[in-house]
Amino acid sequence: MHRMKNIEYDEDDLYAEDEEVDGEEEQAYTDEDRQNFDDLTPVVRAELDEAGLQASDREIEEALYYYYWDVGKSVVHLKHARTPRPQQQQAKKEKAKSKFDQAAERSASKTGRSSYPSPSASAWFDGILWSTVPSEWEGYLIPVGPQIPRPKLLGGSSKLAKLAEERRKKAASSQTAPSVPDTGLSSLDRLSKPKDPKENVLPQHAKQEPKKYPIRKKRELTPPPKEPSPPPEVEPKEELPDLRASPTAFARTLSTGPSQAARTRSMALDELFSSSTNEENPFKGPSPDDTILRAQQHSKGLNNGKATKQFANGLAKKAEALKLDQTSSPTTPTQPKIKSKGLDVPKLWKDGKAKRKPAAAFVVIGHVDHGKSTLMGRLLLDTGAVSQRDIDKYKKQATELGKASFALAWVMDTGSEERERGVTVDIAQHHFSTDKVDFTILDAPGHRDFVPNMIGGASMADLAVLVVDANQLESGMKGQTREHILLAKACGLKRIVVAVNKLDSSSPPWGEATFEQVKDEVTKLLTATGFAAEDIAFVPCSGLNGQNVVTPVPSNGKTGWVASSSRTLLQELERSASDNVAEATIKASLRMQIADVFRGGITNPLSVSGRIATGNVQVGDSVIVQPSGETAAVRGIEASSDGVEWAVASQLCTLHLTDIEPQHLRAGDVLCSTSKPVPVVKSFVVQIQALESILPQGVDVHVGRLHTSGIIAALITTLDAQGELLKKKPRVVKAGQSANVKVVLSDGGAPLEVGDRVVLRANGSTVAAGKVERTGSCR
Amino acid sequence: MRLIKQQIEKKDGSGSATMLPEEPEDMWHAYNLIRPNDLLRASAIRKIVKESAAGSRSVDRVHTNLTIRVTKLDFDTQASQLHVSGRVAEENKHVTLGSYHTLDLELQRNFTLEKAEGWDSVALDTLKESINQTAKAQLWAVIMQEGLANICLITEHQTILRQKVEVSLPKKRAGSSDHDKALQKFYQTTFDSLLRQIDLADPKPLLLASPGFTASSFQQYIKTQAASGANKQLHQLVPKITVAHSASAHLHSLSEVLSSSAVTSKLSDTKFARETQLMDRFFDLMRNDDARAWYGPKECEAAVERGAVGKGGGVLLISNALFRSQDINTRRRWVQLVDEVKDQGGEVRVLSSMHESGKRLEGLGDIAAILTYPIENVDEEVGDMDGGIDDLEDEPDGTAVNGIEGRSEAHEDIEI
Repeated sequence: MHRMKNIEYDEDDLYAEDEEVDGEEEQAYTDEDRQNFDDLTPVVRAELDEAGLQASDREIEEALYYYYWDVGKSVVHLKHARTPRPQQQQAKKEKAKSKFDQAAERSASKTGRSSYPSPSASAWFDGILWSTVPSEWEGYLIPVGPQIPRPKLLGGSSKLAKLAEERRKKAASSQTAPSVPDTGLSSLDRLSKPKDPKENVLPQHAKQEPKKYPIRKKRELTPPPKEPSPPPEVEPKEELPDLRASPTAFARTLSTGPSQAARTRSMALDELFSSSTNEENPFKGPSPDDTILRAQQHSKGLNNGKATKQFANGLAKKAEALKLDQTSSPTTPTQPKIKSKGLDVPKLWKDGKAKRKPAAAFVVIGHVDHGKSTLMGRLLLDTGAVSQRDIDKYKKQATELGKASFALAWVMDTGSEERERGVTVDIAQHHFSTDKVDFTILDAPGHRDFVPNMIGGASMADLAVLVVDANQLESGMKGQTREHILLAKACGLKRIVVAVNKLDSSSPPWGEATFEQVKDEVTKLLTATGFAAEDIAFVPCSGLNGQNVVTPVPSNGKTGWVASSSRTLLQELERSASDNVAEATIKASLRMQIADVFRGGITNPLSVSGRIATGNVQVGDSVIVQPSGETAAVRGIEASSDGVEWAVASQLCTLHLTDIEPQHLRAGDVLCSTSKPVPVVKSFVVQIQALESILPQGVDVHVGRLHTSGIIAALITTLDAQGELLKKKPRVVKAGQSANVKVVLSDGGAPLEVGDRVVLRANGSTVAAGKVERTGSCR
Repeated sequence: MRLIKQQIEKKDGSGSATMLPEEPEDMWHAYNLIRPNDLLRASAIRKIVKESAAGSRSVDRVHTNLTIRVTKLDFDTQASQLHVSGRVAEENKHVTLGSYHTLDLELQRNFTLEKAEGWDSVALDTLKESINQTAKAQLWAVIMQEGLANICLITEHQTILRQKVEVSLPKKRAGSSDHDKALQKFYQTTFDSLLRQIDLADPKPLLLASPGFTASSFQQYIKTQAASGANKQLHQLVPKITVAHSASAHLHSLSEVLSSSAVTSKLSDTKFARETQLMDRFFDLMRNDDARAWYGPKECEAAVERGAVGKGGGVLLISNALFRSQDINTRRRWVQLVDEVKDQGGEVRVLSSMHESGKRLEGLGDIAAILTYPIENVDEEVGDMDGGIDDLEDEPDGTAVNGIEGRSEAHEDIEI
């Protein structure tokens, strides 16, 4: 209504205006008003006649009423109001941008790429009754989806262009004027609104109209571009190169304005432009720039997952199906979007089972300074996973710090603090392969303060390697050798390989008696903990010098007994590795505890790593992160440092996520399938094996990587070895007893399910471990 | 708190006491003293709406002394403020009898308390303790691990969690310094939060505790900050730092820290030292399943009934949370229990529910006893305790469970 004022009007204002008008129509005019109308209407009419316009009495009255009897304003208003409203809005915006439009057009025409058809304006508007059809107009203003991202210009995507072409052909039969806009498109153009040609005075605008009008029609006939589209910021890259010079920054500012309607419009325009570009363009197929851009996209893995999950309606599916058809054509390579390929992962896993090498992750446990990291450094060096050159470099650096013997450990201990202090602090993860097996090493810290990290590592492993210093058995038995064995068992590890280390420096060196003594002691402890005798293997070795780690020891001299009686550590590991994941586990809902949240690189700003406990995941899947409850999309998967399409239970992998803020992800959170997310609980009943006396008390609760605090709120029952009830509400659970206790978490809830393995610690020692029996109410 | 005046009859405990709270912790004492139905007289600001004869209304804010009959108490641990709601019990020219008012007790303003039930032994002990001017130990503690730091203020009677800093740290990774960078950022955040809490002009001892090297690294960080010279006052803080070991950054690890010798020497808190000693003894007895240690309300009552908590080593440990019961009879029950133990010649320790020892006691039902002779199967005699402990839906509310009252909101409260 007031064109002079509302350059910046948004939709809301326009709606409000409508309501005002409606209201006025309903209200009755007073006699005084009538009098005024009678006086002023002829004056206004005269003015309008001068301008060569017609207006009904009613319109004039309305205008007068609205402008409070101001004849001048009413006339101005009426002059403008003679055009249908939608055009008015567009005209307003266009006015602000027409300069840019012109510039864009000029530049387009200079390149000679714009090939306007010669449309007769009336043909364009055959099917469009839009100045009289309010529903048409409504459809134009109402946003299509809740948050449809801006699509990319399809000029760079010939696949979609073809799709659009197909649609256009269909549309032709349904009386829609096919869109033949010019190729001179820029993001500015997208902003300019269709304009009534009759009112138009600028020839440039007349040229533009054809590309704008059919849009709306088009949009209704065809599904909106449902394909996952790239985030807006990549858009400029895909624009036609000749238009790069246009002031896109400004245009983008405008085009990403608050109005949803503007966005939907521009989307439709994009679709149209690009398709017509290809249709009219004699150069079919991608331009050289397109090819380059596409290549760039591939390398950067640009994609957008939000779109994938948003569109679930039938139209979207149809569009996707069409898109997939296009994939086969040689000119349309696959788009680097996170779109789930819908792989049948369990089947792929089953099919590939025969060809696949078994994979195994083992956690290296043992007391502090028993040589875990050094032994692993040696293993990596001798299997060729780490080059001698690196070791030499570490040796030089370590010598400078006066710690030459730590050089091998530095392969695992990469943290600056770890190297300074010569103590492993956190789990180190390293891959290596032999001819038979793919291994992942999880090197756990031995220091008692870092037992929480060790629990995290043990929860990700398939088997354990216990490193025992043959010369310091006692310290370990009192300390972390014992605790680690208990925790390995508590984390569900079945097989254990005991590396009796530092035998070269025992007295006498490589004394068989020393080895046997250690073996006896450790076997006793292991069997008492619950490891079956056949799951225990012993390997005498020396990590620092590499004897019997990968290379067998000479079969003569002091080490003769070793060569004859024992395998090397590597052989023993290969023997212990197995790939026996049940198919049911792989088909179950996805559960993956996050071990680490990190920045995977420039292309993958947010990555998480961990072990898939159950289920499977593939690129394009959306997952829920508990306890935050946020969804994320998987844009890439890495296993053993290689990009893969899918991953299944028991694999250690890195997922590159998108569509989630980093603060929703913490180590210890659980990624789960959207269909069946793991509940977040505040309290649970756990059946524990007490390692120390337990009273109602505050404890640290560990579930894999999750480290939170809670209290044992109640001792419910003690149980005997058969799980039979011994006593209800005991006043204390003594060391060695099993019991059901209720644990209430202090810091909010945690994602927990029945069967999860929980470790309870207090004052720096493990007091109990067990499995969740029941979980309490959700958060 | 200073006692200004007291007129308490030794015989029946009737009478009143006038006190002057001087520091925030005195509000905690007042919270433990004032019970529903007591008469409380304190200065108040009341909005008075006057209507003149002409019909014009004027609103006045008047300072007046009000006497209210207490109905509800609300203690804000973070701000150490006590709000006491009640009905006006003494009319004056501004307010009518029976109208409602909420008194906010203020520092440096007298209040007078008259107990509805008379001053019982526990109330008198609390009063005595609150006016004790000698021990005013206070220290700040940052209990941390990589990625998590809890900043607490520890006073003689309270441990107040002032801020929790939680940062997601990427784990170490070959060829990436993200971990180190994030760790420095974590120290920075913790340091900034700490500075917002403490008063550098009058630095209290600062205790840093963590597993591993986090605390000493953080101490080093503070030293570096002090040396960089941006903040001169930091120099005074540096010598006051003590580094200790804790098993984790979670608050229940504080008891371990506070009982370590490095800390007790700094705190010189004999009350707490004795309490800790008794708690440790109790836990030791429990671990050995010694029948001389019992916990839980009914068990302890049964033991006291049999005279087992008497002369020669009988100790009753009871949290003052029990005396704060809104129900007068419940309070009376515990006061009677305390009196009985005293009569028998046993030792009674009233532990602050907001202090570490009190929190350990909390898990045990706020009450525990060390008996002079073993009694087997007290629990079976008392029959079924209040049922439903294994009912997971019946969750205790956050305050009761966590020990630190108001901890659940702690995070929001202080992050400005």
